[in-house]
Amino acid sequence: MPEQKVELFARRLDPGVQKAVHDNSAAGTLKRYSILGGDYDTPDELRRLAGQIRQHSIEHLDTYLEQAEKSLHRHGAHVHFAVTAEDACQAVSGILERAGARKVVKSKSMISEEIHLNDHLATRGIESVETDLGEYIIQIDGDHPSHIVKPIIHKNRRDIARSFEREGLGDYNDDPETITRRARSFMRRKYLEADAGITGANFVSAESGRLVLVTNEGNSRFCLAAPRVHIALVGIEKVIPSDADLAVLLNLLGRSATGQQLTVYTEFINGPALTGRPSGPREMHVIFVDNRRSEILASDCREILRCIRCGACLNVCPVYRQASGHAYRSVYPGPVGAVLSPLLAGKKFKELADLPKASSLCGACNEVCPVDIPIPDLLLKLRNRGHEEHAPSPGTPPMGAFAMLASSPLLWRAAMQGSRAMNLVPLDKLPLPYLQPWLKTRTLPEWRGGSFRRWMKSRHSR
Amino acid sequence: MSTARENIFSSIRSALAPLPSRTPRPEIPPGAAEPCWLDRSADKMALFVQRAEATGTRCFTDPSACADWLRTQNVSKVCVPGPLERLKSLCGAFAEVVDTYRRADVDDIDAAFTPAAGAIAESGSIILSDESTPDRLAALAPWHHIALVSRSEIHLTIADALAAHPDDPNVIWVTGPSKTADVEGILIQGVHGPGAQACLIV
Ligand code: SF4
Repeated sequence: MPEQKVELFARRLDPGVQKAVHDNSAAGTLKRYSILGGDYDTPDELRRLAGQIRQHSIEHLDTYLEQAEKSLHRHGAHVHFAVTAEDACQAVSGILERAGARKVVKSKSMISEEIHLNDHLATRGIESVETDLGEYIIQIDGDHPSHIVKPIIHKNRRDIARSFEREGLGDYNDDPETITRRARSFMRRKYLEADAGITGANFVSAESGRLVLVTNEGNSRFCLAAPRVHIALVGIEKVIPSDADLAVLLNLLGRSATGQQLTVYTEFINGPALTGRPSGPREMHVIFVDNRRSEILASDCREILRCIRCGACLNVCPVYRQASGHAYRSVYPGPVGAVLSPLLAGKKFKELADLPKASSLCGACNEVCPVDIPIPDLLLKLRNRGHEEHAPSPGTPPMGAFAMLASSPLLWRAAMQGSRAMNLVPLDKLPLPYLQPWLKTRTLPEWRGGSFRRWMKSRHSR
Repeated sequence: MSTARENIFSSIRSALAPLPSRTPRPEIPPGAAEPCWLDRSADKMALFVQRAEATGTRCFTDPSACADWLRTQNVSKVCVPGPLERLKSLCGAFAEVVDTYRRADVDDIDAAFTPAAGAIAESGSIILSDESTPDRLAALAPWHHIALVSRSEIHLTIADALAAHPDDPNVIWVTGPSKTADVEGILIQGVHGPGAQACLIV
């Protein structure tokens, strides 16, 4: 039995955090809706087109990946492949060690979270600093991101001010502008001292080899401006056929993620900086990481590999809004995570097999997804798989007691009255072992039993 | 090394082999991703200025107006590259002017002009590339960055811009000042890059 389920987590979540996550997510959904609807007559057609581009790409992954590799070679980049998370970490530290690099700046990338790169580098005595403001706060707090694009959606300014004070970035000050300025001057030093910059990639064009990186803060650009080595960690599924496809994908990504027409910095890179330039990397390495993506490609859930990590499905999801990201106990939260995380877990599938159940299958995630992933269908397939593999499932309490009550009007009335007392009982503390698995994942609404009988009576007496 | 590569390619091929058919590459209709308000006959420069201002990029067509703005910003050290004598003398009236950006001056230089590769009208973006903009740091580290955009290099759409610099190893589109909303969703400008982004159209 996994210790912590999504709903249980939601129920015990601090109300302040819950409100922050809910309001910020709801605002994200609204922004997305108004910009997409304002800019396109038929945004759903564009989503379907983008979905088809991505589906075509992953169904021809061998061809496009090989082409991307060739294009990158042609432009002077080194290309590496890593089968597992461990291989990917080794590849990074190998490159760093060969380059004599001791200090690294990192621009936010989900895949480096997935492979736990920072921990690996720390064991090798390599300092790596997360440069995205939110990710940096996650790093100094030893925390985990709770949203794909808003990693600290669960923290407030007071939490952050305390962390900055603790890390010696200045006296306690919770003004967001001051927090940002302090991070700016701290990061400056880190960028200029760093030997290497590590990034992810949002897309890779097979035709040109161009990696596309988007950020609003400009941190990825700084990672590619000051240090002399650039290492990009890229999931193999990020490849698309050509630069022309980016017109569709970039227009949807910014609008879906943050309600922007384009993210502030959209960068295209396929090699080291031109020779003789005073800034920019002299060496570029691209590490294509599988880490079970080819397994997912072989499964009946391959559509999830279309994902462009916009976070729109998190924002719109009623379960995510209540539970926040940590409830999903993995790198990818929300609806996308409920599909992707158990699949990426491999042999540990069972430990996360509850995630696909943390959904009412309302379909909102599919409707907002810029690449039209049928997430509810995938959740159902994974529920089946969990069932077939006998993953633990919250049991259903025996129905005998209910049957007895329901068949005697007198007992039923007494139970209805007596049950008001239930509102006062901490349900998850009841010493009833057979109820516990069920209560762990469910809450009861406030008891208002008996009203149906009262309502019937009042109708008759009219 | 090569074994990892072979493993991955063989897993991909065996994952795809059983598929009864594969999704064809979709035809992308021309203009498919253009916003409905885009008027193809619009004046590119006017549209660029309108979109750029909407994302927070200040646009100037007159060098002295641009210099006046920097003066009101209390800029003290400006980097003006190469042969831009007029700008140098305009800025020299109120600030120290240097013509190369040095790392050692990163805390002192609070404004820099850099040549841009072009711009995109549809999104109000400035395009920088290694070919056009030699120093990536100069265009990023100072609080004020002013890109020099040539009027003839303004592309109408994102799709046009994507095809524009095929041989440059590094192209970046800059759409407004550096920003974050990480702290409680509150928008703050000037995180790592410029807090004030501008362009001078020449
Ligand atoms: S599944 Fe779709 S909506 Fe969710 S993060 Fe991925 S692309 Fe965005």
